[in-house]
Amino acid sequence: MTALAVGPTHGALVVRSLAMRGMQRILRRPSIILPTIIMPVFFLVAFTGSFSGITNIEGYGTDNVYNWMTPYAILQGVTFAGVGAAGMTGEDMEGGFYDRLLLTPGSRLPLMLGPIGYAMLRALIPITLVLVTAIVLGGADLNGGVLGVIVLYLGALGTAAGFACLGLVAIYTLKSMRALLAIQVPIFALTFLSIGQVPLEFQTGWLRQVSESNPVTPILEMLRQGFLGAVTWDQTWPGIVAVGVLILVFGLPAWFQLRRMAP
Amino acid sequence: MSRPVEATGLVKRFGDLTAVDGVDLHVDEGEIFAFLGPNGAGKSTTVRMLVTLLQPTAGSARVAGFDVVREAGAVRRAIGVALQDAAIDPMMTGNELLQLQAVLHGLPRSVVRRRGPELLERVGLTAAADRRVGTYSGGMRRRLDLALSLIHEPSVLFLDEPTTGLDPTSRQSLWEEVRRLNDDGTTVFLTTQYLEEADQLAGRLAIIDDGAIVREGAPATLKEAVGSPTLRVDVPAGQREVAHQVLLRFGPNRPCREGRVAVGLDGGAAQMAEVVRALDEASVRVDHLELDAPSLDDVFAEATGRRLEGATE
Repeated sequence: MTALAVGPTHGALVVRSLAMRGMQRILRRPSIILPTIIMPVFFLVAFTGSFSGITNIEGYGTDNVYNWMTPYAILQGVTFAGVGAAGMTGEDMEGGFYDRLLLTPGSRLPLMLGPIGYAMLRALIPITLVLVTAIVLGGADLNGGVLGVIVLYLGALGTAAGFACLGLVAIYTLKSMRALLAIQVPIFALTFLSIGQVPLEFQTGWLRQVSESNPVTPILEMLRQGFLGAVTWDQTWPGIVAVGVLILVFGLPAWFQLRRMAP
Repeated sequence: MSRPVEATGLVKRFGDLTAVDGVDLHVDEGEIFAFLGPNGAGKSTTVRMLVTLLQPTAGSARVAGFDVVREAGAVRRAIGVALQDAAIDPMMTGNELLQLQAVLHGLPRSVVRRRGPELLERVGLTAAADRRVGTYSGGMRRRLDLALSLIHEPSVLFLDEPTTGLDPTSRQSLWEEVRRLNDDGTTVFLTTQYLEEADQLAGRLAIIDDGAIVREGAPATLKEAVGSPTLRVDVPAGQREVAHQVLLRFGPNRPCREGRVAVGLDGGAAQMAEVVRALDEASVRVDHLELDAPSLDDVFAEATGRRLEGATE
């Protein structure tokens, strides 16, 4: 029997292999990534076209609608990227390939972190594409400079990880790709009931209350700050906390479901 | 020293359904053990418990000396598993799958570089190694699955219906590979619904039906226990009852496919002339008549009262 002792190094290699396997699938079946690319670009073009004058109202912090909408479209993109990456696990379960992964000696954690890593790699595609589209089509400003772009990428990648965890909870629970249909409502609720389209100050009643407590709101503030002005710690740390909350709130149940399914 | 596979009172329930109902079995070192039974008998469920993919509802099992529940990781390190339907990603190439499997088992790159080509050559897939698995035939997939399960040189190999759906040539080539592996010292636990497969490969087998083991032993011993050969007779539909009554004078009824009459011929081949005369005297028109030495299907029929689905008579 030729087997290396399993440990953190082995775990890291498994995570990398599973994440890269996902990216390889994209290269071999590009249709996998199409919704993740088309939807956020569509959001960007549709919202900036329909509401081109909305940023003339005081309170948006910019007169260029692309500065306001680009982070929102990126958020949509990384949401699709995250949940879609979890879909690979669903496909593996339906096709039986997941059994091969479950027969791996060692911790189950890399089996969960692999798809999350894939989600983050996959999210790089819509983030970059939407950003480039916004700059080319709408002249989006990067007022926050390089730091603003770094915060945008890191925040968006963290968000992709959080939504990948949500997808994995559903997949581990229902063991089928159909599970992803079941989480569409909470996903849309989280993304729409936020400051995606309208600043918090313009929202009233229950909508405002939901927006205020929605973790997506501070994430959007974090992603958006580099477009509206300089990056500040005050607008960054609540976003980091919110990303952490997303990862914890969805990641822990995903982990428990995986352990329940495969002790 | 403990046996490679040992199960005691293994039970698996899914809600109200008892898929495996108190299975006791053992596999000895260096043995090819076949688990034979029809679809839905509980073979795969038993294997999934033994390879740690399912937790038993009751009972216990040890594989390669480790408890399948408490020491599942150690079990997984020691075993190779090729599951039903060759669960492999069609978008990956054979080489990529071997590399992934090696990473999953924590093998160093140097080992993969040596073992990968060796295994591909062994299963005859060297030329197809860089092709996507989606382009492989069923037989090629099974052979790749076998290679994948061997990458870490397991001491116990589980093969769950390895030849289901394969053409006779692919089946033969897989059997040869299993024999070679066994000759090299690998203990093999094989599930199958094919009588011939169990007969050809297994040193010992267990027949499972409705979640319980109904017979266990060496194929030759089990067949000997059935005793007399089986006489099968095809007669026109209207004469079946008469023919049956005549044949029962020569031995006990044996289950057979619809439209046939079968008995165990206590006197063996020497009695054939007498049987033909008796049928003739009763004015039974015989369309077809055959006498077969006891087979594993007869063992199954004797144990369960019916023939194994798809078994040839």
